[in-house]
Amino acid sequence: MISQFFVLSQRGDNIVFRDYRGDVQKGSAEIFFRKVKFWSEDAEEEAPPVFNVDGVNYFHVKVVGLLFVATMRTNTSPSLVLELLQRIARVIKDYLGVLSEDSLRKNFVLVYELLDEVIDFGYVQTTSTEVLKSYVFNEPIVVDAARLPPLGPASLFMQGSKRMPGTAITKSVVANEPGGRKREEIFVDIIEKISVTFSSSGYILTSEIDGTIQMKSYLTGNPEIRLALTDELTIGRGGRSIYDYGGSSGSGAVILDDCNFHESVHLDSFDVDRTLSLVPPDGEFPVMNYRITQEFKPPFRINTLIEEAGQLRAEVMLKIRAEFPSSITANTIVVQMPLPKYTTRVSFELEPGAIIGGSEHTLRAKLTFSQELHGNITKEAGPVSMTFTVPMYNPSRLQVKYLQIAKKSKTYNPYRWVRYVTQANSYVARI
Amino acid sequence: MSGHDSKYFSTTKKGEIPELKEELNSQYKDKRKDAVKKVIAAMTVGKDVSSLFTDVVNCMQTENLELKKLVYLYLINYAKSQPDLAILAVNTFVKDSQDPNPLIRALAVRTMGCIRVDKITEYLCDPLQRCLKDDDPYVRKTAAICVAKLYDINAELVEDRGFLEALKDLISDNNPMVVANAVAALAEIQEHSSKPVFEITSHTLSKLLTALNECTEWGQVFILDALSKYRAADAREAENIVERVTPRLQHANCAVVLSAVKMILQQMELITSTDVVRNLCKKMAPPLVTLLSAEPEIQYVALRNINLIVQKRPTILAHEIKVFFCKYNDPIYVKMEKLEIMIKLASDRNIDQVLLEFKEYATEVDVDFVRKAVRAIGRCAIKLERAAERCISVLLELIKIKVNYVVQEAIIVIKDIFRRYPNTYESIIATLCESLDTLDEPEAKASMIWIIGEYAERIDNADELLESFLESFPEEPAQVQLQLLTATVKLFLKKPTEGPQQMIQVVLNNATVETDNPDLRDRAYIYWRLLSTDPEAAKDVVLAEKPVISDDSNQLDPSLLDELLANIATLSSVYHKPPEAFVTRVKTSQRTEEDDFADGSETGNSESPAYAPDSSTSPPASSSSAQYAGRQAVAAPAASAAPALVPDLLDLGLDNSSAIVSVDQPATPAGPPLPVLLPAATGQGLQISAQLVRRDGQIFYSMLFENNSQIPLDGFMIQFNKNTFGLAAGGPLQVPQLQPGTSASTLLPMVLHQNISPGPPSTLLQVAVKNNQQPVWYFSDAVSFLVFFAEDGKMERSTFLETWKSLPDSNEVSKDFPGIVMNSVEVTLDRLAASNMFFIAKRKHANQEVLYLSTKIPRGVPFLIEITAVIGIPGLKCAIKTPSPEMAPLFFEALENLLKS
Repeated sequence: MISQFFVLSQRGDNIVFRDYRGDVQKGSAEIFFRKVKFWSEDAEEEAPPVFNVDGVNYFHVKVVGLLFVATMRTNTSPSLVLELLQRIARVIKDYLGVLSEDSLRKNFVLVYELLDEVIDFGYVQTTSTEVLKSYVFNEPIVVDAARLPPLGPASLFMQGSKRMPGTAITKSVVANEPGGRKREEIFVDIIEKISVTFSSSGYILTSEIDGTIQMKSYLTGNPEIRLALTDELTIGRGGRSIYDYGGSSGSGAVILDDCNFHESVHLDSFDVDRTLSLVPPDGEFPVMNYRITQEFKPPFRINTLIEEAGQLRAEVMLKIRAEFPSSITANTIVVQMPLPKYTTRVSFELEPGAIIGGSEHTLRAKLTFSQELHGNITKEAGPVSMTFTVPMYNPSRLQVKYLQIAKKSKTYNPYRWVRYVTQANSYVARI
Repeated sequence: MSGHDSKYFSTTKKGEIPELKEELNSQYKDKRKDAVKKVIAAMTVGKDVSSLFTDVVNCMQTENLELKKLVYLYLINYAKSQPDLAILAVNTFVKDSQDPNPLIRALAVRTMGCIRVDKITEYLCDPLQRCLKDDDPYVRKTAAICVAKLYDINAELVEDRGFLEALKDLISDNNPMVVANAVAALAEIQEHSSKPVFEITSHTLSKLLTALNECTEWGQVFILDALSKYRAADAREAENIVERVTPRLQHANCAVVLSAVKMILQQMELITSTDVVRNLCKKMAPPLVTLLSAEPEIQYVALRNINLIVQKRPTILAHEIKVFFCKYNDPIYVKMEKLEIMIKLASDRNIDQVLLEFKEYATEVDVDFVRKAVRAIGRCAIKLERAAERCISVLLELIKIKVNYVVQEAIIVIKDIFRRYPNTYESIIATLCESLDTLDEPEAKASMIWIIGEYAERIDNADELLESFLESFPEEPAQVQLQLLTATVKLFLKKPTEGPQQMIQVVLNNATVETDNPDLRDRAYIYWRLLSTDPEAAKDVVLAEKPVISDDSNQLDPSLLDELLANIATLSSVYHKPPEAFVTRVKTSQRTEEDDFADGSETGNSESPAYAPDSSTSPPASSSSAQYAGRQAVAAPAASAAPALVPDLLDLGLDNSSAIVSVDQPATPAGPPLPVLLPAATGQGLQISAQLVRRDGQIFYSMLFENNSQIPLDGFMIQFNKNTFGLAAGGPLQVPQLQPGTSASTLLPMVLHQNISPGPPSTLLQVAVKNNQQPVWYFSDAVSFLVFFAEDGKMERSTFLETWKSLPDSNEVSKDFPGIVMNSVEVTLDRLAASNMFFIAKRKHANQEVLYLSTKIPRGVPFLIEITAVIGIPGLKCAIKTPSPEMAPLFFEALENLLKS
């Protein structure tokens, strides 16, 4: 059972600390931080999310640069604790609009009130923002997202939040808008994180889509919602192994390896017409998670050419081709390529311009080394990895056909936002 | 601080507390609320606002829930330190528990349960009884958890008031939240109770399985975990259970999925139909893989569990190896776990793909990951005979890149491959030899030297190669020296020519006369003797055929694996350790002692009151010491958690934090005569003799009480002042009523590191003893450092040597004892061994005997001891090396006392 819950800043400051059982010493936050910070001498190694020090088990997750930590003495479910830590972060974000050190400090009374309802004597009670609303009375003090200082080094930690990618909404689900009435709107985001590994000759070795249909509802009165997905949707590869899925692509069918649903989702007609019905609770939550290993067309092709030019020199040519419609522009693109340790100089030129669908960009670089190459430079450089975001595009072709809101009256016509976005998870080309 | 000085301090913070006090008593609601918020803010940043207790409690009677919650938060924090004032809140609590608003009723019960003050607990029972039967499910679910809270404070009360029955009734409640909390509370109580509190019958099982579908995700985990203890009667029942649990695999919450997997795996053991089992495996695979799409933290937990599952049922994920390929952006702890699983799933079918991956990983930047990848290639070679050749060619390719740590790691695994497939791949030795100069890690060096020695007859210049290492022989680490010794002997036996003969002279000389390492010396002497008496026998021994090694990628012992599998979805499955290895049972209240006594008497232990003090001469049976030790582990944290509850009964001005424990049990006896610490003349007829002793790895305070006064004495209590070692009572002082003219002895278990006094180490132990009839008696004792020496303080020779070398010279302290005579090495060693100082080696230096010993004090601090003396002549020199040289004076004092006597 959870003994304590606390949130630490990157510097190890206690932002929130709640003791539920009194069986773990008060200095646990410090013990924890020391342990995590000095997990091993070489900074490369990261502390695992679960470890034990002197009989106390410490669990932690990183969310937007903050450490959410729980301690416990008993042998209970670690996935429960880690999942809970993520959920607490989400509930707090639902309430405060923005999750940051500043917003937590400004709202500590509210946060404590939430924590009291979320956990009792170490047992999780509820993490549903909807349910919590009836027990929690403090009003959030909203921190203006625009005035937030940039995350700086903290953004390094952002990679941890795989399932909660940056939905651009930083509005509290409980706070009233300055204007008085809340705007009736609902956001449905289809977020696909793709992982592709290309072999050195350009073949796809592995490819995978981790998809989430994320919903955030600001509708009053909790109307029922129907969400219709692509008709040609199959679940399960019918027992076939990962090696023989070929042949099914191109037919337009979307084959999910596996999927799961939020508990509020009714699947009564899902088997018939691929429709999900639900009464969305308040707050941000995943309606459905799915996983696809069916072949898909990767949004970018990466071509790398390395040529040795003499003993101490080499030339790199990196070509990126965007293979999606020209109506779409990709952004936040970063291409990385590790070079041998003894590289002393790199000079490069890059074709300027936005990466829009169909375009091709080339980077040429000249490398100078301080020592002779051991043999094959391709063994010591690379692989090339890419991160990117492509809005209004999803490689799985899974679509929301319609989003229906049960109408309360004729004039009731809330804003509906259905957005698609694709992000790189591990997008790697070997050389 | 004089009153004069304090003025300066108060000016800086002037007004904060008084100002808050004023605001708390304001007539305006809003102002009061703001003030309470300020108080809570001060509390959370660690400021002491306990002096505002009464003022805050006065704000408790409000209809404003927001304010009420804040006050309650404050109360939970400070009630312990202000138990008398906390009583002020009781009335409001009781009143609130009958409030028409269910939120207020629940809040009152929830908060009361969190206040661990005995007097409040008494008042909790009635409200709790009502709330367990409340109309509102929110109140009932809060009350259910509150029973577990109360059980933690006072188990007896829970049993007496029938709360357990009420809790069991709640299992049939129509609200799933209530059911889930009742299950959680019962499961916790069961864990701490020796009686059957919560037994799952087939009836409760079916009820709970029904509730499962309606519960929140968290409730589902409580229920699944509780049900996983249920053993189905037969295969049919098991299949039924599995059928009802399987839909949980589709849940978005990873904890639910893993708990469901645990339940299914367990019931699968009973299912006989292979079709059903195969089908279940097929159903479990996709959700298990989906866990790897979660946050990296959860992936880690999932991978550790999958690691166990594939060892038991490799078929489940046999075709899914691709999902365990490392992603570029996986955190290192995830990558490492994936590698492990890849090795476990590697088969002749997929090995090409797997090797391609490993090769790629071996050129990444993270050194640890690269090393592990190289090692993984070797493990696959050892595991899959048909793929061994391909694995080796990958290793050779990697060696050619000449990245230092890759080469070294490759050589280490190739040595193992040679052991697995003798006489198959030796052709690659030439390639390995090319990298000889670059080796700088002991393990790689040792491996390479082993290879050279083992295949000396096939390596033309084996003697040259080995010779190049010999020059630096004295500087090499022990591991390398040992291999060099053996390899040279092998070389000599295989090529008994002039070169090797000279080399063997050099090595044997280096390894016997020049070395301090007993392992090396012993091995060298054996070789020497073998070679000089019977070279043929030496050949048979040294060049004997070695057993073929096997794959170690399924390292877990089958019984451990089964235990861990039964603990899937718990911490145990993440650490890969059985729960008892890391769970220390801790309770927050003093109830611990009584409970464990109850346990003890059940098992027929000798601590029942029937064993009166008259058995005082017999030493405690080992079982009872074990009982002590067991209790000790529990009592230690309890003592540190309890202090705030314990008023300073003795009014000693001593530090309050060593718990005073009442005397209500008769004692366990002690042994030899004890030094008198409180003479009868000083103690108004009460004489106390005491000494710290060590029995079965546990420190006790052996005490003898003699009542020479005219009145019966009872109610003995003991308290220790802060001391260097943080010694404190680990249990109650067990002295019965002492009639005039009688005596009683007792063994008081002691705990360490409780309240450590600062300053230089000292043996001083100040003790205070009190009884109901006399004033408090104070006396001082001198702690013998010997009692801290642990039974497991014996070191391996090599460890000793390494430790000695690793400690800087500043950690060495020595002392002469001119008055001590050592008459016999054996007698001295026996005496030292009796005090847990363990003999490691001895040597003669001129006419002096030099003895090496080791010992260890708590927290694993070693002491390396060197004693030098001439037999029969007064004068002994002792040098010690330890990470805690500040303890040296205490050590020498104890040693002197031990050897003098």
